Amino acid sequence: MSTIELRGITKTFGSFVAVQDADLSVAAGEVVCLLGPSGCGKTTTLRMIAGLERATAGDIVIAGRRMNGLPPQERNIAMVFQFYALYPALTVGENIAMPLHHQAIGKAEIAAHVAKVADILHLRDILDRMPGQISEGEKQRVAVARAIVRDPNCFLFDEPLSRLDVELRHTMRSQIKAVLSNLSRATVIVTHDQLEALSMADRIAIMRDGRIEQVGSPHEVFARPANVFVASFIGTPQMNLIEAEFKGYGDGKATVTFGRQDVNIPAAPAVAALAPGRVTVGVRPRAFTVVPKDTADTIDAVTELIEPMGAETLIHARTRTGGDIRVVIPRDKKVKVGEPLHMIPDPMQTHIFAADGKAVRA
Amino acid sequence: MAADTSIWQRIGFHRSFGVAEAGWGRTLAVAGVSFVYFLPVLFIIFTAIKPQALALSVPPTLSPTSLFGLIPDQFVFTPTLENFSSVFSRVMTGGGQPEPTGFDRFFFNSIVIASASVLLALVLGTLAAYGFSRYPLKGNDTYLFIILTTRMLPAIVVIIPVILMFRAVGLSGSYLGIILLYTAFNLAFTIWMMKSFFDELSTDVEDAARIDGSSGTRVFFRICLPQVVAGLAATFVFGLILTWNEFLFALLVTGPDTRTVPVAMNQAVSSGGRGTDWTLLAAIETLFLIPVFLVTFFLQEHLLRGVTFGTVRK
Amino acid sequence: MSVMPPVPVPSLRTSPTLLEISADNWRLASLVGVVVSALAVAALPADVAFWIVGVMVALVAAAFVVNAYRRRYYGGLLVSPAIAVLFAMNIFPLLWSLGLSFFAYQSNRQSIWFVGLNNYIKVLTNDIAAADNWHALINTGMFVVLTVSAQMTVGFMLAMLFAKQFPLRKYLLILVLTPMMLSVVASGVFFTYYYDPTFGVLSYVINSIAGGQFILMDSKAGAVAGIVFADAWMWSPFVMLLVLAGLVSVPKYLYEAAAIDRVSAWRRFWTITFPYIRGLLMLALLFRTIEAFKLADLVILLTKGGNDTMTISYHLIRIANEQNKTSEGAAISYIMLFMVIVLTNLYLYLANRRTRES
Repeated sequence: MSTIELRGITKTFGSFVAVQDADLSVAAGEVVCLLGPSGCGKTTTLRMIAGLERATAGDIVIAGRRMNGLPPQERNIAMVFQFYALYPALTVGENIAMPLHHQAIGKAEIAAHVAKVADILHLRDILDRMPGQISEGEKQRVAVARAIVRDPNCFLFDEPLSRLDVELRHTMRSQIKAVLSNLSRATVIVTHDQLEALSMADRIAIMRDGRIEQVGSPHEVFARPANVFVASFIGTPQMNLIEAEFKGYGDGKATVTFGRQDVNIPAAPAVAALAPGRVTVGVRPRAFTVVPKDTADTIDAVTELIEPMGAETLIHARTRTGGDIRVVIPRDKKVKVGEPLHMIPDPMQTHIFAADGKAVRA
Repeated sequence: MAADTSIWQRIGFHRSFGVAEAGWGRTLAVAGVSFVYFLPVLFIIFTAIKPQALALSVPPTLSPTSLFGLIPDQFVFTPTLENFSSVFSRVMTGGGQPEPTGFDRFFFNSIVIASASVLLALVLGTLAAYGFSRYPLKGNDTYLFIILTTRMLPAIVVIIPVILMFRAVGLSGSYLGIILLYTAFNLAFTIWMMKSFFDELSTDVEDAARIDGSSGTRVFFRICLPQVVAGLAATFVFGLILTWNEFLFALLVTGPDTRTVPVAMNQAVSSGGRGTDWTLLAAIETLFLIPVFLVTFFLQEHLLRGVTFGTVRK
Repeated sequence: MSVMPPVPVPSLRTSPTLLEISADNWRLASLVGVVVSALAVAALPADVAFWIVGVMVALVAAAFVVNAYRRRYYGGLLVSPAIAVLFAMNIFPLLWSLGLSFFAYQSNRQSIWFVGLNNYIKVLTNDIAAADNWHALINTGMFVVLTVSAQMTVGFMLAMLFAKQFPLRKYLLILVLTPMMLSVVASGVFFTYYYDPTFGVLSYVINSIAGGQFILMDSKAGAVAGIVFADAWMWSPFVMLLVLAGLVSVPKYLYEAAAIDRVSAWRRFWTITFPYIRGLLMLALLFRTIEAFKLADLVILLTKGGNDTMTISYHLIRIANEQNKTSEGAAISYIMLFMVIVLTNLYLYLANRRTRES
């Protein structure tokens, strides 16, 4: 079984804790993205799975076997490096053939394997070129070809698309996804690009400061963020996180105060258990409905900046207490700078986070 | 801590994990090899602190300390600093008073001549390398090869006419003569090395500065030079090591006032027909080693980064 | 190679014609310089001719500089000071000694006369002299092969030892580099001590193990081994440093990729490491071969050419310096120089061919 399991993985460099107590399991055929800002420990986690870095504590289990003390050679894994790590003195074809030399197979068979992956990734015509003579996109495909040419326990990708331009990134994303779906191996992809994670992953693990903050499907992490960090990290434009004062709960609604304005927002019953005090209310920019003046329980703000985004319009507005709110409205809805906005948040896309940053949810 | 992390692994005796890093195990192995490799030097340094009478003892005395009884007494000597003082002042003729040997002057000469010529070569060579790199002449590569070739010539091919020439123009025995000679001796290497450094630099920043109206001089000093500091350091160290110990040129073109230490050392230890004065030789060499050792030690990281460039290209 | 896009400057002046008297007419200056120098060298005594040649060189150089400045050849301006020093201290003496090799001249006598190729014929074919020369040359060849291969092997292995980062590496590295920093005078003399049959460390060790009297320098094989060992000890660190520079320049991620791809150590070395050090290995080989051709100091100190260890460079020093046969020495120098240049070009040709292939 091609699975990866991390149990309480910790990595320290001197006194610096790079990864702390990370748990993660990747099933066979599943693609998990490690997503987070730079320096969050995602690459270190990947390198520990690969065996390029020794875990300070915890267990790494690949294909049902505990791999802690084993060097990369004995883990039978394939990895695509951020800078592709193509061997500069070898041709593209020889690069792809490199992982095959470990198995004692004949030249003809090696050539057949290379030809097969070269066809999949459209590299047929450049097999005799040197890595220095091919484009970034081709290098990326060669790196992927080198990884899939053999049959490893799992695949690891370290920021595989970060060096490509936007358009190429798009095509490569679907190409890699298509290739991976045929292989049914556990795959871990490290990225800092949420679009990449949301489109490629079966599940996403969001990391910050060496900790895994939340693991879930792309839908889950978007719709039910576990805490303020995940809420702010996933989704563009960023979720609005409004500081507020929690007053009480009743009738399926939470009463919170923004500045001096009391607003009743629909909220999960679990909020009832919350003691009155500071909370953060999270509302996606697309979750606001602009309503006429004098509607009850609106959040009010004044339009400051208008950014047309094509199909929709992004509005930066300022609340009376000085908070910045991003609102996305349909294109046909016209708003002028300086115009007051009255908005009601969609209850399904409104989250209440307690003072410790954790989402309050049933 | 995971159960398999034994005390041995904690201090480094595990299979190397990071691919470019090794633990204390490697240190121990390399220390053994390095120590054996260093032994002849160590012996010279120990000879420098030996009493003169023990210099040629049989069996040879090997260590100033018994290392807690590890080394048998017959191999142990009592250290002394006497040899260092006799480098600068000693009894020259039987029964006489100690006389100054002039070695302070020779050390001074060595330092002045080596640093002046290496620095001069660095200045001229860097300018030339910049010229070769940024304003290539017709037949640039041919010039570069000819320059490299001057370094490949046996010194003896050059030295006979140089002696004649120096005699004719009165440069024999002067500082200027030997400094210019050593400068030329270092130039080829400097030009070659610095050119490969300039070639590695991207010219984008320079072009931008030029478009902004910076003068050529300013571009060179403010933009180019700061980027090749590593190369300058590496070239300096290589040049220094070679110039510092140069013997043949110094023997043939320096006079009594400009004599450098290698020449003076050769004369001091073999004069008087009594055979080699071992402890004196060792003391001179030990003192002579210190400056170049320190310079190399402090610049060795640049040295490693520096020689990365400059592979055989024609 | 980066080529600075030249700022298109319209040629400010047209070049002067050959016979026009002008400060930037370098063609005329060169012509005058060559003719006057040749006449002076042929007709006047050496010490006067020297100054005339010197003035002519200065004249030609000035014309070049003025020309470069007026036409904005900055390349020429930047390069010329270095070229001037190299010319005065290296190239000019070389040309002088090339000239001397066609004359009969001894530095302790005043007489000098033209003999054409006689010196070359003498050093190559004369019954007495040529035999010694050829013999010394063959010895030199032997030393070149032995010392260079020893240095390359030891230097390479030392570099492999230091290739990885480990604790205290910096301090251990400087220990291995120290032999290169020693003065040949001191280390050479100390090697005579180490090899000394009565007092030396080596003999003491071997005597106490094997018994009897061990004298390393007693035979040709022993003497050669002694010289090669001392030379290799001193200069292996040079090779090590160059190779190490290549080794540390290999990006770490390539080794990581190789570990992931389960590449064997042997294949990893040849496909990843070696391409990075090939150029530097060739450079080390080149430099050390040229140095080995010049091997004289250790021979002088250790054997004084005894036990059939005379090298061509030491032989040259004897002829030119001790026997004052300057022009004969120059002839030998040029034959030797010719060989070194041929060898060098062969190296560069091979190195470049290998580079082009890959």
